Amino acid sequence: MTLRPRPFDYGSTVLVGIAFIAFATAPIWAAGGAFFLMGILAIQIAFAVSFNMIFGLAGLVSFGHAAYFAVGAYASAALLRDVPQAPFLVSILAAGAAAGAVGAIVGLIALRRASGIYFAILTLALGELIHVVIAKTTYLGREDGFTGIPRPVIDFFVFKLDTSNPTTLYLVTLAVVIALIAGMGFVWYGPLGRTMAAVRQDADRAAFLGVDVGRLHLFGYVLATAAAGLAGGLYAPWAQLITPEIARWTYSAIPILFCLLGGAASFWGPVLGGVVFVGLEHATRTMIGLSELIVGAILLAIVLGAPGGLTAALTQLEATIVARMKNKTAAGKPMRPNP
Amino acid sequence: MMLSQFPLLVFNGLAWAMAVFLVASGLTLVFGILHILNFSHGGVFMIAAYVALAVQGYAGPSFSLGAFAAALAAATASGAIIGVFVERFVFRRLTGVPEAYSLIATYALLLICQGVVKLIWGVDFKGAPPPDVLVGALVVAGNFLPAYSVALIAAGIGMFVALEVLIYRTRFGDRLRAVAIDPWMSGLIGVNVGAVFAATVVAGFALAGLAGGLLVANQSLSPELGSAFIIQAFGAIIVGGMGNIRGTFLACMLLGLINAFGIVLIPDLPGILFYVALAAVILIRPQGLLGARS
Repeated sequence: MTLRPRPFDYGSTVLVGIAFIAFATAPIWAAGGAFFLMGILAIQIAFAVSFNMIFGLAGLVSFGHAAYFAVGAYASAALLRDVPQAPFLVSILAAGAAAGAVGAIVGLIALRRASGIYFAILTLALGELIHVVIAKTTYLGREDGFTGIPRPVIDFFVFKLDTSNPTTLYLVTLAVVIALIAGMGFVWYGPLGRTMAAVRQDADRAAFLGVDVGRLHLFGYVLATAAAGLAGGLYAPWAQLITPEIARWTYSAIPILFCLLGGAASFWGPVLGGVVFVGLEHATRTMIGLSELIVGAILLAIVLGAPGGLTAALTQLEATIVARMKNKTAAGKPMRPNP
Repeated sequence: MMLSQFPLLVFNGLAWAMAVFLVASGLTLVFGILHILNFSHGGVFMIAAYVALAVQGYAGPSFSLGAFAAALAAATASGAIIGVFVERFVFRRLTGVPEAYSLIATYALLLICQGVVKLIWGVDFKGAPPPDVLVGALVVAGNFLPAYSVALIAAGIGMFVALEVLIYRTRFGDRLRAVAIDPWMSGLIGVNVGAVFAATVVAGFALAGLAGGLLVANQSLSPELGSAFIIQAFGAIIVGGMGNIRGTFLACMLLGLINAFGIVLIPDLPGILFYVALAAVILIRPQGLLGARS
């Protein structure tokens, strides 16, 4: 077998570029609800990419991933409201640190004993536990939610950004989201991500080659939870009201849907999946009931018919086109399938 | 905690336990043989509850045991009918698919169930009383026990006994257990594996329907109902040992009692002991209380 360079993913790259342009120009073309939704979508995409760092790379389903998003959101909300002297970016980073710390505790417990479906249910149980604690803590606003989250002025010493202007806050949020996704991209395509993928394919062989599988999974899990916390930290000032619902397992389904729709095997899968999913949801939002029906049917069709998601379908399409073109130039007529 | 509360706490714990067991029993059956944790079980449970409500609705606000029985039959039948389609078009294709993906496929089915309920019955909360003979309370040693809860506990125990007989005392049960252990070998010795799979899935969904019919009066109906019981039921079958009906029964009682006492001991955080107990069992005995070590 000859070593070939990894095929460049043209289709996905082009689509992600288009999505980036749509996000960057949203302050121009989107207003009101649609503009707010674009901000939420950018944050949820970062959240979904963080989930895929453990799902796509390690093959572990963290079914309580929303709990880390919520820990981050509540941490940054509390800092923004009650510790106004803390700089904005410190509040966001603290959100990531808080979620990563909780993730480290859960990971130490859960990864040691559980795998497969047990890991999914265990993380789900621990996530629900965090949901109950948030929903019953008076300081965090109980079931009613945490209100009055301010949008502060960010002081960069040379210049100031007043995030009470929605466009400014949106651009700051988008910049942090892109930085976060870029950071995760470096891990995904870097040595750590490659090693995790190797462990997913054959944990025994990887261990035999000297990989400390337990430590690698724990490290990946902490990384994924901290990133989810960072996304949650961005969510608090953008939404300005956060409720315990964001800690529930039903919210954990969002990154799962994004990843599967886009394709969990690809780094860009959750990005494309998120855009398509929220687009569908937005288009069907006025049809009560029908929106769940359509989303459920599409999800089912993907799991049963195209388990690789959109990115895999794109890659296959590209391969077909390339093969056709090559064949045309070589033989002058389209290739016929062998009988 | 006062000692006088003790009997009532045990009763409440049991009522909760049997409600969860009614939902978990069909789930266990399907998990034991197909190894699919079925989210859509909650969705079918919910649809059946709405069907039962509609049937009871013909009898008026106060209805007899006969109308209740008709509602139960309709609920069970609706569960079984959905089961036939889901088995044919979804579950049959999930063999060999990674666990995470089959989990997500059933979650998609749950979403579809929620959409169907919203389309047909709307998003408003609906409620129904129990049949007229089960309205009111029994007085046992100075404690008022709602007759409906007593009936639920009886139904839960009855369900357990029936499944116990079905699985361990019948020819079908023998085949079921054989297929659960080794489908390939069972096929070699002449068991129709596909038929056993199909029958189990349909039976599991029918049980979800029956549970929906029985538990209509236990809660208010809304499109959220499908995801309300499912986590508790998942917890129970994992604590019990995946796919083991005896373990599930035991786990329901254990978790029910822990939950009932937790509400009294930690009133600020209701339900938290359930998750603590669930996490503790997975950590100490990942194979569940009665599960075999793989």
